[in-house]
Amino acid sequence: MSDVTVRLDAVSKSYRLHRGWYGSLRTEVASWIRRLRGADGADEMFWALRDVSFEIERGDVVGLIGSNGAGKSTLLKVLSRVTTPTSGSYTTSGRVGALIEVGAGFHPELTGRDNIYLNGAILGMRRREIDAKFERIVSFAEIERFIDTPIKYYSSGMQVRLGFSVAAHVDPEILLVDEVLAVGDVAFQTKCLNKLAELTEQEKTIVLVSHNMASIVQHSRKVLWLQAGRLQAFGDPEAVVEQYLRSMREQLTTEDPRDVVSKAMTDSDRSIRIDSVSLCTPDGGVPAAFRSDEAACVDIAYTIVRPVPNPVFEVTISDAQGYFLGGVTTRFDGIEIDTSNGSGRLRLTLRPLIFLKGDYAINVHVRDVHIQRYHDSRNRAAVLVVEGPSIASREVSGHINYPHKWEVL
Amino acid sequence: MYAYLEEFWQHRELTRSFAMRDIKARYKQTALGAAWAILQPFSLMVVFTLVFSHFVQVPTNGVPYPIFSYSGLIFWSFFATTISQGTAAIVANANLVRKIYFPRETLLVSIILSAAVDLGIAAVIFGVMLAYYKVALSWAILWVPVLLLVQAVFALSVVCVTAALNVGLRDVGHAIPLLLQLWMFATPVAYPLDIVPHALRPLYELNPMTTVIEGYRRAILQGVAPDLPDLAIAVAITGVLLAVGYSYFKRSEATFADVI
Repeated sequence: MSDVTVRLDAVSKSYRLHRGWYGSLRTEVASWIRRLRGADGADEMFWALRDVSFEIERGDVVGLIGSNGAGKSTLLKVLSRVTTPTSGSYTTSGRVGALIEVGAGFHPELTGRDNIYLNGAILGMRRREIDAKFERIVSFAEIERFIDTPIKYYSSGMQVRLGFSVAAHVDPEILLVDEVLAVGDVAFQTKCLNKLAELTEQEKTIVLVSHNMASIVQHSRKVLWLQAGRLQAFGDPEAVVEQYLRSMREQLTTEDPRDVVSKAMTDSDRSIRIDSVSLCTPDGGVPAAFRSDEAACVDIAYTIVRPVPNPVFEVTISDAQGYFLGGVTTRFDGIEIDTSNGSGRLRLTLRPLIFLKGDYAINVHVRDVHIQRYHDSRNRAAVLVVEGPSIASREVSGHINYPHKWEVL
Repeated sequence: MYAYLEEFWQHRELTRSFAMRDIKARYKQTALGAAWAILQPFSLMVVFTLVFSHFVQVPTNGVPYPIFSYSGLIFWSFFATTISQGTAAIVANANLVRKIYFPRETLLVSIILSAAVDLGIAAVIFGVMLAYYKVALSWAILWVPVLLLVQAVFALSVVCVTAALNVGLRDVGHAIPLLLQLWMFATPVAYPLDIVPHALRPLYELNPMTTVIEGYRRAILQGVAPDLPDLAIAVAITGVLLAVGYSYFKRSEATFADVI
């Protein structure tokens, strides 16, 4: 028996933009005529997947990564047979289960009990199978008391738990999981992760989509990276995640540092203008990458356009994907900014840096005394490249290596 | 085609679950509940009796007009419900169609099953009326399940086409109520086939609903078998339509999730 459970061979999926008949009849007729003439306008096509080929073996846990619109959802739809590829071939062996938007099959008027049977049937379970698993599904979802209540009276958390619980008990050979780790409260998330680990131990094949690189590295045995519909890399999680993060960094540095907010602000709006933001070490060095265990300085040069009382400078840091990590203000540290001079310089020292390996955006804002209005704002004013412990090693996680000490007591 | 049927058969429990969902949810939070299933054909029967039996006299071969029209209306209501809900079925379950794979015809078949429950409820009143008007039943009533099967398959093959079209072109869903109204008057529901001019008869025979409705009346009210040549034509038309409709539906199915 072959150990390959999923095989994709040159799979492409294109969408005609303005699909359907939603446009006017005239444009529809015009496009038919064009297609009849053989002039199939290439500009009308959008390739969500292009020439994607790979094989997944039984028992593999594959993490699927890529930026928004890279084709992850389309690939999941192809794998779950919701949509058929435009070209290429695709085979799977065994029942495919999908944890995509759990609870899509719920009917609000029906009770929890009825919905378990309904959703179970939609996900491919036999009635007898559901009978056998019913108690486990209910207790996993923690809804024993409400099992005979219509689910329209459930809290959204209860609905999500019930949806995950049914889907997790389908017992498919191949399980597709889309960002499901983001559902429910922390206690329930832990339960979900344990359930996934349990399935992995049973040699189930799992395809996991997540924007959280740490959880991808932690749970996958292989990582598949999609970029603009093409397969960019497929293999060792640490190597592929590294590659992916590096490409995110390149995107970050090639983007115009002037963001939408500062573009929207004209000089007349600004009472204080941020002229430049630069990074250096305390001794004035400008390395290509800063070391996680050493210090880094953020130097800000500004011009006072109009004197304002007690402006507050704020420096925030976000990761390569734009997730906000933290921020400090001059007011927090009791620093007063003198606005009587025409211009000034300000230095923020991060000591030690403590960020894990990766690229971080430095955002600088000048705000009023109440920290409500913006005098000026520069998102991604500088990019901080950090060398140090990497999450790819699985030995650290998150973004920060906080000061710590272990002791065996 | 065989593979499709096999897959559909494997999903028969899902079909039943969808039907149960529709039945259970339909009359939730209504005061009259299942009485609505009776009200629709019954009120039409009252109106038709007033118009076609008191204002104008439609000949019904001695059968009391109320029971004559009700015998047509309950089966027509069944047909109208399956067509209008079946056409909307794929779009109404868009969130499922976009997310999860299952043979989509399960949604269509489940509509027919759940509509059959309404028919059963409406038939209770029919039984009362049969007793009231002292209609004697004969063995010919065994034709009713056969006719029901023909009608259900015919409705299924129609919605295979209309439901698939409705995914990309919602105009279909809007056109259906109008179409059903015209279709009802083109079918001998409120009047017997006898009064239709002979020139129009061949056209009537092309409509399987004519044969089916006439057949119910013959089997229940007159105690005779349906007109067998007509029934053969209806079965043939239904068979061809099912083959064409079902294969069209399965071909369209591949893009439902993209277009819906």
